Amino acid sequence: MGDAWLGALYSAGAVPASHVPPGSPGRADLEEVAGAEAVEDADLATYPVTPDSAGPRVATFLDGVQYWKVIGYDGVVPIVRAHLAAAARRRGADRRLRTTAEAGRALLVTALGLVRPGVRAALEASGLALVDIPGDEAGQPGRALEAARGAVERARVELERSLGERVAAALAPDEWLVVDGLLSESAVLAGHPRALGVIKSHGAQYFSGAELERALTLTQGRRTSVFRPRGRARHEVYSWYLRLWPWEGNDLLYGLIRVEARAHPDTVVAASATAGWLARERAPLATPDTRWDRLLYPIWDVEQYLKARTPRELRPAPGSRLPKAAS
Amino acid sequence: MIDRTVASPAIGRVVATELKPSTPHQFHFWTGLETAIGIGAIVRVGGTGQGDGGRVVFGVVTDGFAYSDLASPLHDVAGADGDPVRAADAPTVRQEIRLWTAAVLRQEPAEPLQPVPLAQVFLATDTDIARALRMDAYLHSAQPTAVPIGLYSAGGLEAPVYLDADFLLGPEAAHLNLSGVSGLATKTSAVEFLLASIFRHFPAHRGRVAAVCFNVKGSDLCFLDQPGALDDEDRRRYARLDVPAEPFGDVRYFAPFKSDGVNLNTLRTHPDLVGNVEPLVWGLPEVLDFAEVLLNRDDIDAKADAFIDFLSDRVLGREFEDGFGHRHRVQSFADLDALFRAIFDGVELTGRGDMWRTHHIATIRKVRNRLSNVSTRCKGLVADDGPSSDLPWGRFEDRAVYVIDIANVDPLGQDLVFARVVSKLREHLERRDLGVDTVVVFVDELNKYAPGEGPETYVKKMLLDISERGRYLGLVLFGAEQFRSQVHRRVVGNAGTQIFGRMDADELATPGYQVLSPATKVKLATLPAGELMVRHPHFTQPIFVRFPRPAVLRGRDGIARFPPAADLPFEDAVVRLMLRIDRGIAPNRVKDLIGGRTPEDVRAAVAAVRRTRPADALAFLRRALGDRVAADAPREREAVPPLSPIGDDPY
Repeated sequence: MGDAWLGALYSAGAVPASHVPPGSPGRADLEEVAGAEAVEDADLATYPVTPDSAGPRVATFLDGVQYWKVIGYDGVVPIVRAHLAAAARRRGADRRLRTTAEAGRALLVTALGLVRPGVRAALEASGLALVDIPGDEAGQPGRALEAARGAVERARVELERSLGERVAAALAPDEWLVVDGLLSESAVLAGHPRALGVIKSHGAQYFSGAELERALTLTQGRRTSVFRPRGRARHEVYSWYLRLWPWEGNDLLYGLIRVEARAHPDTVVAASATAGWLARERAPLATPDTRWDRLLYPIWDVEQYLKARTPRELRPAPGSRLPKAAS
Repeated sequence: MIDRTVASPAIGRVVATELKPSTPHQFHFWTGLETAIGIGAIVRVGGTGQGDGGRVVFGVVTDGFAYSDLASPLHDVAGADGDPVRAADAPTVRQEIRLWTAAVLRQEPAEPLQPVPLAQVFLATDTDIARALRMDAYLHSAQPTAVPIGLYSAGGLEAPVYLDADFLLGPEAAHLNLSGVSGLATKTSAVEFLLASIFRHFPAHRGRVAAVCFNVKGSDLCFLDQPGALDDEDRRRYARLDVPAEPFGDVRYFAPFKSDGVNLNTLRTHPDLVGNVEPLVWGLPEVLDFAEVLLNRDDIDAKADAFIDFLSDRVLGREFEDGFGHRHRVQSFADLDALFRAIFDGVELTGRGDMWRTHHIATIRKVRNRLSNVSTRCKGLVADDGPSSDLPWGRFEDRAVYVIDIANVDPLGQDLVFARVVSKLREHLERRDLGVDTVVVFVDELNKYAPGEGPETYVKKMLLDISERGRYLGLVLFGAEQFRSQVHRRVVGNAGTQIFGRMDADELATPGYQVLSPATKVKLATLPAGELMVRHPHFTQPIFVRFPRPAVLRGRDGIARFPPAADLPFEDAVVRLMLRIDRGIAPNRVKDLIGGRTPEDVRAAVAAVRRTRPADALAFLRRALGDRVAADAPREREAVPPLSPIGDDPY
């Protein structure tokens, strides 16, 4: 039906808008105070990674994206349109990445209880999935946008999770799955023997004192002991930090990633080899992305793939927001 | 070979950006990394009804680009810690693109002319090739005029490419020019194949066709009637192009004698082959018509011209009284020299001063000097006396090749042969009495014969004349050279069809090649033998084709298989000439007849036999030699006083 519903929406009284909130493509980096349980060592230690670890012959990398923008206001209630997508790209013997699975969703997010009946009817007739945000979170436009962001992110995590589980179920016996973000969001992924989560944002801190210093001042090519994250994790996983690039001269978090894997003794045994494999993934560089020091190239490649397929109207416009002439 | 007439899956898609937009004449498309596309490939855009707006565009790939998502080379260095070996070990290969630029060959519909749509790209099929190159108009018309030039091939597809005879051999356009470096561009082979193709496909409604080839170097064209080595692939290509894989069936060879007047001046003297080599010998009448060729413009003025005209109009072949009581009938250089001597003697004895019949005696001496110089420098081609032996004017055969071997002839003689043959062809074609309706004249080494710079020679004028007016007569020039940029602009500019083999990089850097993309130039500089780039009036862009090796024996191989016979002693050479006329003649009887005779008498007598072809050649030779007389001591030749110094010449 195309975008004909937009005309009905505006006819019903919604005022057209075209605003992409800053940072809307990215994910929220929630600050979280967490804890950790020692697994490999009683006190957090560091180990060199296995040099030149070959890694699996076949690996699939999974990532997701979210794009959203305000397309109108009914009064001061924002109406948000979102595009969510996730894809898995497999790397085989030829070392090239090819898409093997993908999923996408289009959403309309607003406080349905606060919009006029005609606007609501137009939204319901759009054919897109409607996500309601509670009225008490949408009283102020700023709070409403934060609530919309949370709703979009949850939907994106769910999309990634479902796709990840589908891909994991179809993995070949010698194939590994690397997902961008938490493995612990999914019971299936968290328990899979050949699934890894790579976390490049460090809002959650699991250590304090000397252990925190040891974790955050890792030198290049070393990992921490394996530990069990506490706090936000919904499913049990093991984890460790890994330094891809030397942080000296940059920042404590520069080149630092956290890896999640199945909570199993084999994970501890293989931790150095697995870390060595991931350390090799730092090349080729994921430039020109500014997160290249922590962003593995295959993950960035999946992002680029998804970005290329994102509806153009949802991507931030490079131009200014000057009023349109003669419109 | 895959004869693809059914559309294959799309191999690419047109892309356009603000920096690289689609235009009505050019577009860009990407393909997978593994693709059969290359420079010169012909593609079709659209035609599926999806995203093409009902438009079909044909294009030829002119450039290619490959790049990855690498933002800066420095990032590759950093990712590999500065170690190239480690860079190759990266677990993932960067995303790459193969982006191609194509020039539009044809749009359907032609109007309104619009930018190329952003649609799918397909490898062109056989049918597409015909449409793209506009060959459908002359390939499937009521009177087809298509002449195969070679096979276009890309991605497993192989499609014949045809030239339009109306634009190759006239009257719409005509002439062909071939450029390329020596030895690698296969220019001669291309002409040999194309002639075979023309002979096979020349439209019936266009009448009869023949070729005159000037062999100007080595043994290039000396074995056109002998089969060459072909492999199965060559034969398959011949079959695909519907051209017989066999040597020319009717080839006539002409070569002047060497200075001895009896041994042929050609490399085709092997006993098995020399039988169809006719001597090319011209006498005074043939030469005097083209005195302009032989006499240097710089030192022959209007007065000398007038005297030469006087000789041609009033003296040559007529009973002529010299004013001193002697009658002359000038038919040969010897006769002319006798006339000159009579004039000088008469003027001196009668004391009439410096004039003879309004011509200054110095002018007469100058003309005599130059003409006697001709018979000296072109000895073997120009006979002092005796009849001439010439091409069969008026009796040219359909689909015959006439090879004139002037490879070892003095440059002056080459100029004379070229000028006279072309002039005679033009005369006969104008009168429509040559025997054929169209003649292809093949001349190699245009850098030498029609240079862009240098003096205006008669040969250059003749080549210009063919280039500019020949198509109306059916006189078509196939010219070849190494450096096209150094050939006269009007000679190459008038060539409707242009063919390029392997090119020299310096030549490609000259302004004449600016229209070609850098990639096309690189391809031209590295073209393998047997592959050519063709420009033809119907093709809006250059097209690369491959042709089979010619089915004739290459010059080098011919020399190995048929090594030239050694020059025979005078008497043996005369015997051989007589045996060619009558195989039943006993050699000893010929030797008996010519024993004690002067070579000049023998040459004249043999020439008379050759020209007359009598039933009893030996008897005719005896009569031509006349009664034997006691040999006199050789008469000392009266020397002509040299005109020295030239600078003192009052004219």
